[in-house]
Amino acid sequence: MGAAPRRAAILGGNRIPFARQNGAYADASEEDMLTAALDGLVARFGLAGERLGEVVAGAVVKHSRDLNLTRESVLGSALAATTPAYDVSQACATGLEATVLVANKIALGQVESGVAGGVDSASDAPITVSEDLRRILLTASRARSAGERMRALLGLRPRQLVPAVPRNAEPRTGLSMGEHMAITAARWGITREAQDELALASHRSLAAAYDRGFFDDLMTPYLGLTRDENLRTDTSLERLAALRPAFGRGEGATITAGTSTPLTDGASTVLLASDAWAAERGLPPLAYLVDAETAAVDYVHGDEGLLMAPAYAVPRLLSRAGLALEDFDLVEIHEAFAATVLATLKAWEDERFCVERLGLDGPFGTVDRSLLNVNGSSLAAGHPFAATGGRIVTSLAKMLHEKGPGSRGLVSICAAGGQGVVAILEGA
Amino acid sequence: MTTVTDLAAPPRLARVFAEAVVTARLAKPRDLPDVAYRLSGQRVDRSHLLAYQRICGFPVNDLLPATYPHVLGFPLQARLMGRRDFPFPLPGLLHTTQQVTAHRALTAHDILTVAVHAERLRSHPRGRLVDLVTEVTSEGEVVWEGRSTYLHRGTGDATAERDERGPAVPEGPPAAIWRVPRDIGRRYARVSGDVNPIHLHPLTARAMGLPTTIAHGMWSGGRLLASLGHAAYEPSVARLWFRKPLVIPGTVEVTYATSGPVRIAGVRSRTDPPTEIVALSLSPLPA
Repeated sequence: MGAAPRRAAILGGNRIPFARQNGAYADASEEDMLTAALDGLVARFGLAGERLGEVVAGAVVKHSRDLNLTRESVLGSALAATTPAYDVSQACATGLEATVLVANKIALGQVESGVAGGVDSASDAPITVSEDLRRILLTASRARSAGERMRALLGLRPRQLVPAVPRNAEPRTGLSMGEHMAITAARWGITREAQDELALASHRSLAAAYDRGFFDDLMTPYLGLTRDENLRTDTSLERLAALRPAFGRGEGATITAGTSTPLTDGASTVLLASDAWAAERGLPPLAYLVDAETAAVDYVHGDEGLLMAPAYAVPRLLSRAGLALEDFDLVEIHEAFAATVLATLKAWEDERFCVERLGLDGPFGTVDRSLLNVNGSSLAAGHPFAATGGRIVTSLAKMLHEKGPGSRGLVSICAAGGQGVVAILEGA
Repeated sequence: MTTVTDLAAPPRLARVFAEAVVTARLAKPRDLPDVAYRLSGQRVDRSHLLAYQRICGFPVNDLLPATYPHVLGFPLQARLMGRRDFPFPLPGLLHTTQQVTAHRALTAHDILTVAVHAERLRSHPRGRLVDLVTEVTSEGEVVWEGRSTYLHRGTGDATAERDERGPAVPEGPPAAIWRVPRDIGRRYARVSGDVNPIHLHPLTARAMGLPTTIAHGMWSGGRLLASLGHAAYEPSVARLWFRKPLVIPGTVEVTYATSGPVRIAGVRSRTDPPTEIVALSLSPLPA
């Protein structure tokens, strides 16, 4: 484990409830949502008018006009306008990567405090002109004469006027994330029943967390929503079993809408600081970010599944820290699909995978399922891509604080592009 | 004794304005009618709030910008000013100043009672002025007060006592440029219900004696307040002076200054020398 000069403390966080696509936040922009999440954080921690070290956030599906999304949100928030900000993007791992970046600057003494976050809207999506039309318009704008411009525009065809909407497909494979996941699920023999059980557990755990008020100091109501719109308190194994497969073919078609995360709108933030900054303001740390690791896999040629990078990242991280899976009190694995979690767990128990792919002597280990996603995860809460990292980090930090100093938590988030970011948190 | 009329629903403004246009040339009394209009138990319509936040540049959230209750009270103002026994015809009245006092931050969850009456009919060098007072209460407590001053252009009294002039639009290089689109009057009319013809189209504006279309003062005022950020939600007194019309389409300059606890903002023309269009002062609520 790299010896960090000092520790980065997680003091808390704030998010807005997550809304289903075209639900309560249909008309809200990403800037609106991120500003609302930030303002809730500012109110909770008394930061109005304060200059923080920096705010780092991002969105996965972003309008080209929002090139400075985070800075614009800071300017619209109650933070001092002198708080710097920048955008990051690492697909679904954006929020966790932002947290790691802020924590690193705190550890190095470059900043004393910072906010990490993320936001995504699947409703207020950017719509662009078709690639053909874009090229024709660019050629026309470069034309030196009316004749040249006319020739360029004569290339226009009606069907090129149809706008392009962002698609949930990998550029290099043309397969949607669900189609990729279906291949991985079949390869690891993940059953429909196991996926339905995991989805049910996610909804039940999240509902229970709401019932005991776990989110009371982690969330600010927004546009009339006070809890995640996707949460189904009345779902059951029977209902989940009745859903038709959404991805995959034939026997391998095990993934349904119930075991996939829905398209979601939402934003989250995490407040990090040095011990000194926190003590000065009387804000008790909940947890510390100890270390993080990012892995990437070659999914393009079918060598590995698109969402399997965390299976590689966690063993590397734990080896550096001298820890084993059994050393963790809580484990958070982002539920992109129920099958993502199950395939990752199965890979770590598989001797052949661990020896051949991870270079270990034997199986990596088993995650105690009673420690996994204990307050529910993305299947129930929803998954506004870049906002998921902040949701998980804040919840885990609070749970570790409840467990006490020295408790350990693991976060694992898979991302498009065959990447995965994982981190270790330690309770304060 | 003031006659208070409780309305079941906000008046439909297109009709109020249409009637007012028809009755504009009828003989008008000299004095104000002693009436008030009241709308009780109003819930905030979120889609309307969102449209207001968007058009003025406020972030979309659950808070009511300090200028928003004015939009809730405006239909009552129009109803009152559209009465046959109101001393001036409603179409063509110019909004000259606005004061809003926010006693506390208001949210979309607050249930509001809005009441409007007219007072302080007085002379002005270019005609006569009248104040429309809007009082917003929630759970029996006054939470917001507005005072809108309108000018009826006509025979004035050069010796008339002037209202407080207000701060100058701050000098110096522009902090921002607004490119105000041609249709902003029609768009703000849809949100605010203020379908005064001077804001809608050059032809209807000319019919009212203006050279061309002008933006609503409360649009430029709302946008100016929105540009001040979080101050727009805090307990405060905001005052707006509409000095010259903002002709649309148009490009104008925005400047800011601070004077102790008071923030000043202004809109001016891009000409040399500039013409002052709107001035805003925002002060903390007196303790």
